[in-house]
Amino acid sequence: MGCSLLEGLCALDLTDEMGALCGKILSDLGTEVIRVEPPAGAPTRRIPPFLEDEPGPDRSLYFIAYEAGKKSVTANLNCPDGVDLVRRLAERADFLIESYPVGYLEERGLGYQEFARRNPRLVYTSITGFGDIGPAARYKARDIVLWAAGGAMSLIGEADKPPLALSLPQAGLHAGAEAAVASLLAHHARARDGLGQRVVVNAQACVVWTLMNEQAMPMMHGNEPIRQGVLFRALGSERKLVFRCADGHVSALLIGGPLAPTIRAFVQWMAERGFAADWMLTKRWEDWGPAYFMSGKGWEEARELDECAQRFFLTLTKRELYAEALKRRLLIAPVSTVADIAADEQLKARGFFVEVPDENSPQGRFIFPGPFARLSLTPIVPPRRPPRLGEHNREVYCGLLGLEPAALSRLYAQGAI
Amino acid sequence: MGNLTLEGVHVLDFSWVGVGPVTTKYLADNGAEVIRVESQARPDVLRLAPPWKDAVPGINRSQFFASYNTSKKGILLDLSKPRAREIAIRLVEWADVVVESFTPKVMKGWGLAYEDLRQVKPDIIMLSTCLQGQTGPNALYPGFGQLMAALSGFYYISGYSEGSVCPPYGAYSDFVVPRFAASALLAALDYRRRTGNGQYIDISQFEAALHFLAPALIDYFATNRVLGPLGNRSDQYAPHGAYRCADESGRERWIALAVANDQEWQALLEVLGGKSQDSRLATMQQRLSQPELVDQTVSALVRNWRCAQAVEALQAAGVSAYAVQTCIDLHADPNLSAFDFWHWLDHKEMGPSPYEGLQHRLCRTPGELRSPAPVLGEHNDEVFRGLLGFSEQEMAELRRERVIF
Repeated sequence: MGCSLLEGLCALDLTDEMGALCGKILSDLGTEVIRVEPPAGAPTRRIPPFLEDEPGPDRSLYFIAYEAGKKSVTANLNCPDGVDLVRRLAERADFLIESYPVGYLEERGLGYQEFARRNPRLVYTSITGFGDIGPAARYKARDIVLWAAGGAMSLIGEADKPPLALSLPQAGLHAGAEAAVASLLAHHARARDGLGQRVVVNAQACVVWTLMNEQAMPMMHGNEPIRQGVLFRALGSERKLVFRCADGHVSALLIGGPLAPTIRAFVQWMAERGFAADWMLTKRWEDWGPAYFMSGKGWEEARELDECAQRFFLTLTKRELYAEALKRRLLIAPVSTVADIAADEQLKARGFFVEVPDENSPQGRFIFPGPFARLSLTPIVPPRRPPRLGEHNREVYCGLLGLEPAALSRLYAQGAI
Repeated sequence: MGNLTLEGVHVLDFSWVGVGPVTTKYLADNGAEVIRVESQARPDVLRLAPPWKDAVPGINRSQFFASYNTSKKGILLDLSKPRAREIAIRLVEWADVVVESFTPKVMKGWGLAYEDLRQVKPDIIMLSTCLQGQTGPNALYPGFGQLMAALSGFYYISGYSEGSVCPPYGAYSDFVVPRFAASALLAALDYRRRTGNGQYIDISQFEAALHFLAPALIDYFATNRVLGPLGNRSDQYAPHGAYRCADESGRERWIALAVANDQEWQALLEVLGGKSQDSRLATMQQRLSQPELVDQTVSALVRNWRCAQAVEALQAAGVSAYAVQTCIDLHADPNLSAFDFWHWLDHKEMGPSPYEGLQHRLCRTPGELRSPAPVLGEHNDEVFRGLLGFSEQEMAELRRERVIF
């Protein structure tokens, strides 16, 4: 009996920034993931930023983060011998995950139809920007463009400035993680009847899903949500979500209705430090529900509350605010930087961050985020370092496919690997 | 039906709000029978949140709730009553998977912790998800995805420059974590199928969400660099951002685009009519080091274009571009339609309502939105009488004691 969840399964990974996370998740769950790279290296090796801003095949932070734990083989898909190697690997694999432009692999004899015949068990997952059949199926789909196409961008930013994307592109991560779920669903279908299938992931749709159901606002409320800085809608009102504090920002959900106890506790704390208006101490916060705001009441109170809260927050640091919020069970959290997160006591207590030796790091080791889930019987595979380009050529091509060392040398010489 | 992937899998779902219900939705839409246990006294807060049918609030009128609870059954049970626990335990015997998303002490308080469930169903898979995980000093911290998105670093990297915070919309981590939770759950179900073993899964939403920031965290630990808000700046693409096109019907239109190399840049200039631009921006290096000048140049070029025409022309020339779509645009998007993304389901109280469909397609065994979300307690009878076999008399008695409704 295996001690990891998906032990014994093998996936071929032919993705780029639009899906490397899929193979990472499958690998964390125990699948052997073989990253097939062009001889010049996977595109993910060239994604900036780089470690210490020095480009190099093993220095892309994106590559380090999302290709770690995979095996690397090289194969030139523009030469018949390279294509043949991938075909032979895919004949033995349980999953093939790819994010090439629609049609690219078909043209090289590596499309799904090819494998429906050769390996009917194969789950063949295509991660696409806009789906495989719509008018934009062949559009060039870079991350920020998908972030815009899926509607997220229109909801982030200030009204008088351009719509925003996050500093770390997110659409490809959503698509990659969604592809892991979809591939595992197809794996379950295969368990029933032994047959694989094609799976298509749509990154644009993955972004739409992050909008918290705003899509229905125009039809149901007759208004079109747009970016409005730090305001968000809650219970029929618009509330301020982010406040300045002594050393940065905090986020606070100051809403009533079903959350009345937490706002009351917050007002109590403000009062202790002399920042609450009298009416706030006696206010029935339960009333602060949708009907109240929709009938026009509450807006002035909300404005006054936010002003008091802002003055109050400025007197304390985000650390102090968070510590007290934890104690009083308030809906306040720091706007954390990665430095704050690295020092977080809860993550430390749970031993979340894990050291992984790797001579490519300035300190001889990387520190990775740990398991995304804690399973009592079959834990997530601990983080491993990212592979060097073609590191596993011999192991995979000779060990798995049974090639003679001489044949391997010939493939190198031909530029097939 | 008959060909759904997870047919025969039984899920007892005590979860609420975002992460739990979105996770079990994956199972429900793929054929698992999911019974959501809800409380009359403390309804799911999403039931109290807009958008509402006709903008009128009501416990069964929230599309926010409906969207995340398709294909599920709903029952009402007051778990603070001892007899409710007996009913819950009988449902645990029926279930393969139990999911909950309370703060860690709640299930324990009801005598429904994993150790309890295991007694009656040794091979049960139980998944618990709360903001910060079941253990550690902050395990009991309550909250929502908005706060988690701030705590886990997403807010800080969303803004125009240092000191500006423009958060990603809504409870962002609620749309990150379920993809990890569902992956773990599906793998655990597969393991159980092969070995007969269930297990307990603890998903800290904090920990799962951080995987979407992994490069920045690894960078910080290795070199102390703190990733900040960059506006729409990129180290990889220039131009990279959203640029205002001509207004249409009094509405702003913006185009998003990203240029990866000099060839694409030349194509962009040719398409948008900027061929005579100065040579200061000809190379990637020049453009990456002068982002303001790049933005000014592109802004001037697209300002009089109709957005859709600019997108079409740029894509035809090999430049990645698309409209910055609003919620209204999304419903008219031909690609989302071609993917069969939108579904109108006839909800018991709301009538035909717009649901987001699936973000992927299994070509041979596709999932589907099998039914709209349940109204509060919609399947009480079906579950208590049909599944558990309570008699008329028992039902009446339980209702009288306000255990069921």
